[in-house]
Amino acid sequence: MEKLVLDEKIIKDLLPQKFGRAGKIWVAVLVAICLVGAYAYYRQLRYGLIVTSMRDYVSWGIYISNFVFFVAISLVGSLITAVFRLAGVKWGSPLTRIAEIIAVAAIIFASLIIIVDMGSPERFYNLFIHGRIQSPIIWDVIVITTYFFISLLLLYYPLLPDIQILLRFKAGTNKKLYAFYNYIGSFWKNTPEQIKLSEKAINILCIAIIPVAFTIHTVTSWLFATTYRPGWDSTNFGAYFIAGAFLVGAGAVVVAMYVFRKAYHLENYITENHFEKMGRILVLLAMLYLYFNINEFLTPFFKMKESESEYLNGLFSGNFAPLFWFAILTGMIIPTIILLFKKGRKPLPVFIAGIMVVVGAWFKRYLIVTPTLLHPFLPMHDVPESYHHYFPSWEEWAITMGSLAGALLIVTILARIFPIIPIQETITEQHETTE
Amino acid sequence: MKPLNKISSVIIAIGCLLVGYNGFAQAPAKGDLSLGVNYFITNNKVPYVLVRVKTKVDGRFQMVAGIPVSLFLDKDSAGTTIGKVVTNEQGEATALIPTSLKKQWNTSLKHTFLASFAGNKRYESAKGDLTVGKAKILISSTAGKSITVSVFEMKDTAWMPVKGVELKIAVKRLGGDLPVNETPTFTTDSTGTASADFKRDSIPGDAKGNIILIAKIEDNDQYGNLSIEKSVPWGAKFTAINKFNERTLFATRDKAPIWLQLIAYSIIFAVWGILGYLVFNIFKIKRLGV
Repeated sequence: MEKLVLDEKIIKDLLPQKFGRAGKIWVAVLVAICLVGAYAYYRQLRYGLIVTSMRDYVSWGIYISNFVFFVAISLVGSLITAVFRLAGVKWGSPLTRIAEIIAVAAIIFASLIIIVDMGSPERFYNLFIHGRIQSPIIWDVIVITTYFFISLLLLYYPLLPDIQILLRFKAGTNKKLYAFYNYIGSFWKNTPEQIKLSEKAINILCIAIIPVAFTIHTVTSWLFATTYRPGWDSTNFGAYFIAGAFLVGAGAVVVAMYVFRKAYHLENYITENHFEKMGRILVLLAMLYLYFNINEFLTPFFKMKESESEYLNGLFSGNFAPLFWFAILTGMIIPTIILLFKKGRKPLPVFIAGIMVVVGAWFKRYLIVTPTLLHPFLPMHDVPESYHHYFPSWEEWAITMGSLAGALLIVTILARIFPIIPIQETITEQHETTE
Repeated sequence: MKPLNKISSVIIAIGCLLVGYNGFAQAPAKGDLSLGVNYFITNNKVPYVLVRVKTKVDGRFQMVAGIPVSLFLDKDSAGTTIGKVVTNEQGEATALIPTSLKKQWNTSLKHTFLASFAGNKRYESAKGDLTVGKAKILISSTAGKSITVSVFEMKDTAWMPVKGVELKIAVKRLGGDLPVNETPTFTTDSTGTASADFKRDSIPGDAKGNIILIAKIEDNDQYGNLSIEKSVPWGAKFTAINKFNERTLFATRDKAPIWLQLIAYSIIFAVWGILGYLVFNIFKIKRLGV
């Protein structure tokens, strides 16, 4: 009896909640940003890529930086869900849904932003018709599609028991939403056979997603590393990108944990202990990424090859220096310092460190793309002055901000539709703890 | 006179002075051009004239592009025009001796080529000339890889051998001429001949092993520039290795390396096979719940 009461309390606490006033304002702001982005994209389609600041040299600008950022952040799904599950980390289970939702939202916008970067999206199909299997771009297309599909399945399978619970609350649910729940999960009866099949599928997905996740970001790094340019000509790039991706993914999760905890009053489920542990993981990942950064920059700096000196000096002490040191300090060093202390691993400091990691990571991706393109091995000759510099146009900013808002909107909508913490899993764990 | 009028008068006077200074200023001095005329005949065929135009800037010669030059044979008149040419970016222009001047060409054993620039806004007019005698060069080879080059000049109505002409005997290569042996230049003897032994045995030739021998007289005061070529099968057969149409990482999509296709497609099929199974698994779960 006591068990049932406890179960009902968990269900009540974790059911998706309607947007309050703050939630509605939040959604309205995101929609407004998306609309501005959509208008900017309309202008780009109407007038062509000339509305951007990308020219012959900087042909991969803020869009590709944003793409790398989205791909990086999507890796969190494999870290929290797969790695934790396979490693038997029980405390991470309330975070799995958050991680998977972030992964799905990020990978959707990673795909979209690539299409935005194309001058003529109506020719996108040519990528499949004329694509060469030798090209890392095709590998990226294949891997992103695969990762998206795995992430969807990994979101869907653990949702099935929760949907059965959601279907019990017809009265308080919107008709269309109830029909949607009915369509995607009415067949789940919680039978031992169904549970067995589902558990098996989740295990397979957890094993499959890790190599695919490593591949997606390694291949993205190869888009750069297989191109002979200063700063990209590196064998360290795959590991460097993966380390950075895990860091930003974990950063995004702690930010989302804090926001959902506050918004949905989930203090009993996302506890201080979760922040303490995620804080430790963030420190580890920040130091790992810092280590790869030192590898990436110290050896070229030591050699200071003539062909790369302008690029390196531009980063360390030139035009890009403020941004570079900001990204290093904000994205790695300061969060590490905050999180090294026990008090720094309380929810609010972890949230702040998480925001710093995410912001630093976004600028870090910008620094991977732009400075290199402005410093080709063959010096620029007889080109307009504007080719020597790059600062995104308002259309590029609007589209980029629109994509970020779009990803947040997907996260918000999914959090509105589905329980942000797996209900059935929490109940099962509760039973195990009580026994 | 009112003070305002005084000021106005002073301003006008200063203005006039400035205008006057500018008005009487001399136009910038025109530059001087130097026209160098060179005569070429290759394989004893149609001769041509090459004119080089240069000027001195800060004590150094610079070639001048875009200079129109009129070329004449022997005398500056309408009937003896070789052609009108304009110098290229290297300051050079060439013109073949036209067949219309054949009669004039045959009247004399020596000819003078005249180059004339009429002048323009930047440069003063300039002239250049070159006098050369008619000569020809022959090349022959033996099975023992010995090369003989003969030089003749036209005297009266016959070709006579010329002694003491310095020439080069070389193999024609893409980046320049490679001497056939260690001797850089040869000089003709009293019979007008110079001989050289070929010592470049391993040199790559074309697919059949053919190489091109070349004999050259360069900037000779009396005869200008003469050259003759001859193809001989003395080189090593060269088979070009072309990977263009093979399976490589940089080839077209239908020429992807087999190993890459095997690895890539097996990974794709394996992963998507698993995903297909997992989708099928959903239907299995669904059937169990119905």
